[in-house]
Order: sequence, then structure tokens, then C-alpha cells
Amino acid sequence: MIERALSRRTFLAGTGLAALGAPHILAAAPAWAATTAKVGTAAPAFTTGATTGKNVSLGDYKGQIVVLEWTNHDCPYVRKHYDTSNMQALQKEATGGGVIWLTLISSSPGTQGYVTPPQADELTATRQASPTAVLLDPTGVVGKMYGATNTPHMYIVDKTGMLVYAGAIDDRPTTRRSDVPGAQNYVREALQSVAAGQPVKTPVTRAYGCTVKYA
Amino acid sequence: MQLRDFRLAALVALILGSALLLRAPAPAGAAEPKVRVELLSEVASIAPGETFWVALRQEIAPGWHTYWMNPGDSGEPPRIEWALPSGFTAGDFVWPPPERIAVGPAMTYGYSQSVVLPLAVTAPRDLAPGSRIALRGQASWIVCEKICIPEEAPIALILPVANGTAQPDPRGAPLIAAARRSVPAPSPWPASFTASSDTVTLTVAAPGLAADRVAEVWFYPARWGAIEQAAPQRASIRPDGVTLTVARGPLSEAVAAPIDGVLVMAERLDGGVTRQAFTLRAEPRGPGGGAHALSLLRALALALAGGLVLNLMPCVLPVLSIKAFGLVHHASERPAVLRRHGLAYTVGVLASFAVVAGALIALRAGGEQIGWGFQLQSPVFVTLLAFVLFAVALSLSGVVVIGTRWSGTGQALAGRAGYAGSFFTGALATVAATPCTAPFMGVAIGYAVTQPWLAALLVFEALGLGLALPFLLLTLVPAWRRFLPIPGPWMTRVQQLLAFPLYASVAWLVWVVSQQAGPRGIAAALAGLVLIAFAAWLHGLVRDAPWLRRRVASVLALALVVVAVALGVLAGPGAAARTPASSSAKSEGWEPFSPQRLAELRAAGRPVFVNITAAWCLTCLVNERVALSTPAVEDAFTRKGVVMLKADWTRRDPIITQVLGSFGRNGVPLYLLYPAGGTTREPAVLPQILSERILIDATKEVL
Repeated sequence: MIERALSRRTFLAGTGLAALGAPHILAAAPAWAATTAKVGTAAPAFTTGATTGKNVSLGDYKGQIVVLEWTNHDCPYVRKHYDTSNMQALQKEATGGGVIWLTLISSSPGTQGYVTPPQADELTATRQASPTAVLLDPTGVVGKMYGATNTPHMYIVDKTGMLVYAGAIDDRPTTRRSDVPGAQNYVREALQSVAAGQPVKTPVTRAYGCTVKYA
Repeated sequence: MQLRDFRLAALVALILGSALLLRAPAPAGAAEPKVRVELLSEVASIAPGETFWVALRQEIAPGWHTYWMNPGDSGEPPRIEWALPSGFTAGDFVWPPPERIAVGPAMTYGYSQSVVLPLAVTAPRDLAPGSRIALRGQASWIVCEKICIPEEAPIALILPVANGTAQPDPRGAPLIAAARRSVPAPSPWPASFTASSDTVTLTVAAPGLAADRVAEVWFYPARWGAIEQAAPQRASIRPDGVTLTVARGPLSEAVAAPIDGVLVMAERLDGGVTRQAFTLRAEPRGPGGGAHALSLLRALALALAGGLVLNLMPCVLPVLSIKAFGLVHHASERPAVLRRHGLAYTVGVLASFAVVAGALIALRAGGEQIGWGFQLQSPVFVTLLAFVLFAVALSLSGVVVIGTRWSGTGQALAGRAGYAGSFFTGALATVAATPCTAPFMGVAIGYAVTQPWLAALLVFEALGLGLALPFLLLTLVPAWRRFLPIPGPWMTRVQQLLAFPLYASVAWLVWVVSQQAGPRGIAAALAGLVLIAFAAWLHGLVRDAPWLRRRVASVLALALVVVAVALGVLAGPGAAARTPASSSAKSEGWEPFSPQRLAELRAAGRPVFVNITAAWCLTCLVNERVALSTPAVEDAFTRKGVVMLKADWTRRDPIITQVLGSFGRNGVPLYLLYPAGGTTREPAVLPQILSERILIDATKEVL
């Protein structure tokens, strides 16, 4: 138990300081805290840096529908959706319809999925993704505020600023690419409902994927 | 000999083969797989038509983990895609209890180092002995440390078909047996939960756990959504069980249905800490509880209906006949007077029900585990009830005319004393009703006792109103009195006839006393009955005598009644403590019920019939006589291999009270038919009034 905690912790820290004492590790175990984001209530406000170097706030998009996508380009579950162009197609569809799409990366430095702004932009270009902006959250403040536990983890904020969807991209919690066609895409359905001014049929689902690599 | 050598060779080949397969590089470019898998078998050969266990064994690289059936906030359980020979079927994994692996704000459930996941495989009947069977499949899983890697590998097992019975596999059998032993057993205790807007509180009715011995309690939900999996679980261990309070999960509809999961409890024993894992299903209850919870309105309607039916029960009907005959006699009386009698009677019933409800609510608030008819668990109360019913029966028989004024046989119904009489008839009807449970009543009262006091009181009062309603309506609506029969000498005969159900009730109550208080209790009760009969005769004898003689006789009669009551009070409780708990539970064909025994039988795949009964429950006894112990039913049960468990609630028993509570009941009888084959299947709850047909049909339907 302690061994495992130790190894995970040292990896997470990315330092390889194997000499850390076990009691210290246990004391440093992350405490659970209730997240402020809750479907059916106002989406919590945040401001964080985009790859462009500018700060982006949720409040900048008042009156617009906003999709938040937590990602980690090396996570096999994320790759399932990017390698099949499933995510890109959804982005294109959404932004084409005037929806704001914010891709967030909460991997801390030294962990899987952590990227510098130029690396993030390169990923966007090579994968032919079309988010409105890619936001970097290396401290994990925004991710924890929303209770993002997985990559991919999807959220939708409606025009009134209310959180109307939180959870998985679809109903196939696997890494198999063959599961993409035929899956029920919760995000697409929710966006259609929101655009039509109707309540979201499935507002909360279990997100599936890799854990977000918080510090 | 040759066969054995062959088997050994096959095994060696298999191990080498699977080792080679495992060396094959995993896809996705990973250099070395983090998990090595192997398909184990408990048998070294397959017997045609038999079900046997195989298992997926995972050897996991240090620091990495794979996932449980509910992986938690991320991850994915392992799976096998089978390519089995035709006729073979494979079941789902059975899951050893997982570990908690907290990752930042997320909680995952899984396994580290090594895990054996058993599953049952059934072979077809038409297999040629000596032939070889290849069980093949593709296992896939996700393995995570800091990062996650999906891996997969082919698995295979080649087994010969046995000529007779299958031989155990020396390597697989012990590994699979150990894994199956660790699989959580069904919880022997009923569980329920309440949900507030922020929390879910799980209650496991595990009485008698020593708080200082419980080192840890954790509930692993079987599905995501009902509780916040990463949140701390606040446990408190009380004499009546364990409660766990945890932050409510994001899926609002998850708390409208039962919550399934695994409860792991670590107990400090002399030699160290042992971990026990149980599967349990917590039913929703109270605020936030959804579909299963009864609404107050429905409970009130059921209570009203139950009260109406109570009028027809053999313990109540004779008492009411006194009142009804008074009405027949005086149908022509002034409507206002009749109305007042009706109201006085109703008030009497309602006041008595309020007293019963008040006592029940107060005792429950004090932590007592009691339900409807709880008074009958006291031999003193049963003895006194027998005396009262006996006196009423004597009155109906004509031995004595108690309170001529209110029974309405002679004098006017009018008069102040007459209204008091009507009030006390109401009280008497309530007292007489206590041993009876009418249909609908059980559900309503079971609901009432879990509610705040006001709702509970309302349900009880609705029951009382139902009891009082027929008589009340007859007095309130003059037109309906036209349907009453014409008075005549026939009434005396009917009254005398109605005395007999009461004598029968008395005989039965004395028998209940015999169960509760033994020979001493019966002696006291019977002596008391003789004294009451004598007092009644004395009272009747001097009815037309001069004042002084009448007075002396009355005092004497009263003294006799006091002696009878004293006998009942003194003989009852002292003896009660000494007699064995339940003699009726040992009757033929029945095993005494315990939650542990039930769990054992269900785990063994046996169908079980649970009869929750009490010696003082008339309906229960009737059901046993007319339905449960008939040859046709016994035959049906025997043919299906149904194990019959009897839970005796004659005396208060917190464990049985909790079982009743878990089905939303608060009184007996309760009949449960658990189907065979597995612990996850729900029992059928049979009606409170049984017949042969109901039982036989249920047996056919469920089993």
C-alpha cells in the first residue's frame, strides 16, 4: 500500500525523489473536497491562460453556448476519439453552429499530457482539431473546480451560464476505436437540445477515460 | 495412468503455450505488457453437461493496477471476448473485493499485484469422452499507474473430456477456490438508505457489532452515480447497526432506486485485523427515496381500507355486534341521539388508536424495535385481553348483562352514561382488534413507523376511522338504517352464536400465554377466567335483587375480577423469562430462521421460503393450517427443494423486526419466497392471507 502510494506520488511529482518518507506521503494524500460545479446550477467562473498567451475567462463568452473538453493527447481514451476524427468532427460541427469550444489541459508539468503552448498549438494543427481556444491549467485549479476526473471529460454551459451537461462523450467506455461508430454521443445530443431550447435528456453521465494528471 | 500422463503433458504444454503467448508484444507499441494473464481452470478435464469454474489471472507490474467491476471515477473492468466451442456458455466474472486507489480528486477501485477473477463455464451434454476441448478467448483490460495502457492478449485452455467425473486441476483448483472464497458473500443484514440534497446515509442493520472492534468500514458502490466515490465515508457503529454518511453523487436518479454494492468491514480480532466483504442492496427509504417509498396519501388510503376490513375480523365482529344490535333496536330513536352515539363511538376508537400510536411512537423514539401488535408480546397484556374478551363473550351468551345501558338490550340508548358506553365500545373494539391484522394494514403501518410522529399518527387514525366508519355512517345517514333487519327474538340467538368466536379467541389467547409464560402462565390465566365467570354469574344473579344484596354482590364480583387481574399480572412476566424462545419454530419441516442461515442457503443456490410469524398472530396460524402445512404445498416445496425457515416473532426480536422493516413491514405475517440460483434475485413477497393455490402458483412462477 505504502509502496504503491510512494511510487505514484514520486511519479506525480516527476522528481524521482524516492527518499521521501512514507508518513509524509500519507499526510500529503489528496483530501477530497466537494467541487463547485453542479449540473443545473451556474457554471463556476474561471480565468486561465490560453496557448495564445492571453488569458481567457468563461465570462468572455456570456450569452453563448460553451463546451469544455478536458484532454490529454497521450491518453488512450482521448486517442480513440482523435485517431478516429470523432472529436474533431464534433468540434467542427459545434463551432460551425456558433458554439464556443474550449479544450482544457490540466496535466501538471512532468506528467502525461502536459504541453507547452507551442506544443499544444502543434497538436491542434496536426490533428486538424478546431477548438475556439486551448487553455492550459497546469495547476489543476480549473479542473478541480469542475470536478474533472477523466480525459476526455466533457461539460456544456448554456447561454444563461448554467452548467447543463457533465460527463462522458459517449456511451462506450472503452479504448476500442471500433466502438466509435454506433455509439450514442451524449455531447452531440445535449448540444442539439440546448440549441433547440429544450432541456438536456441525459444531463449527467459517468465520464470515462484516464485520470486527469493533477499535480 | 496413461490418461494422467497425458493430462500432465497437456498442462505443461498449456503453461508453456500461454507463457509464449504472453511474451508476445502488446499492441499500441508498449514494450513490455504491464499485466500478464493466464486462464486457469479448477478442473483438469471436462465432464459433459457440468458447470465448472475457470478464472482470468492477472499478474500486475508493481505500482500498476487493473480495475474492479465498478472501476470508480475512471478506468474500465477487464473483459473476455470468448470464442467457445458450440454448446459452451461462459458466465460473468465474480469479483473479489477491490482496493481503493485515490488519484487526485478521483477514486478508483481495482487490484494490484495479482488477482484471480473466476467465472463459470457450462459444458454441453453431448461431448465425446476423450476428445479435447479448446476454450479460447481474447482478454482485454486497461492497466494504470500514473498513465493508463490498454492491453489485450489471447487466452486459451485445452482440456480433455472426462469419461466420468472431472478431476480437479492441482494448480488452478486451489487458486480459484481461494478467489471464490474472497468473493463477497450476501450481507446477512438488511440495508437501506436515505438521501438528502447533499448526502446519502446508508444504514446496515447489523446489530450487536462492537464499535471498538470495527477498524474500518467502506462501501464500494456497484455502479457510478449514487454516491461521491472519492468522498470520505463517515461511519458510526451503534448497537442496532452501522450507518455510513457520504456525499451524494451527481446522478440524481441513482437515489430513486436501490443502491447495490460491497460493504467491507475490517474487524479487530485477537490475532489481528480481518476483513469481511458483503454484497448488499440498500433500499431507498424516507426523504429522497423514490419509487419504492409509499406516499402518505396512499398509506392513509390503505390504512382506511384496512380499518374497514377489521370490522369483519373474528375478534372484532362480535364486539361490534353489541353496538349493531343496539342500533337495530333503536332504529326509530331520534336521529340526533343516534348521531351522538355514533360520534362517541368514533371518538372512542380514534382516542384508543391515538393511545396505541402514541405508545408505539414513544417506544420507537426510545430505540425499541416494535411493531403492530407489540402489546401481544407481553403475556400480561395477552392474559388481560383474554379476560376482557371472555367477559364480553359471557355477556353475549346471556350469563351477564354488562352495562345494560350501553349495550342497548333493554333501556334507552339515550342518556349521558349511554354516550360514555358508546365511547368505551369504541375502545373495546380497538383492544379486540389488536390481535388481528387485516389486509392492507401491514403495509400502511410499516410505512407509519418509519415516518415522523405526525404522519405516523395520521396513518393510525386513518386505520381507526376505517374501523369506526360503518357504524358511524349508519348513525349519520338515517336512510341507510332502512337496510337494517327487523328486530326480533332471532337477535338473541345470533348474539349467543357470536359469543363463540370470542370464546375461540380466548382459547387461542390462553394458548399464546402458554407459549410466552409456560404452565404457570396458563394456570394463572385459566384461574382468572374461572373467577371472571363466577363474578359474572354473581353479577347476573342479583340483577333484580334488593339494593343492599346487589351492592354486596357487586363488590364481591369486583373483588374476584381484581384477583383475576392480579393473577394475570403476577404470573405473566416472571415465567416469561424462563421459557425457551420459541417452541413453534421447531415444528416439523421448519428450520429456525436466522439471517446467516438464509444467506448461506441462498449462496448455496437453494430456494428458500421464509415464514415470519408469531404465536399471537391469528392470520399466521390460519395460514399455517389451511395453506402452509397442507400435503399439496409440502409436496410442491419438496419437489423444488425449497428450504423452509420460520422466524418466530412471538417475543420481541430486533433481528426479525429489522427483516420486516426491510420489506416496509412492521407486523406479521410476512411470507418471502427466495428463488434458487443466486443471491441477486429478489424474493417474491406473498400475500398476507395465503391459500394452497397462491403458494403452489408462486412456487411454479418463481422457481
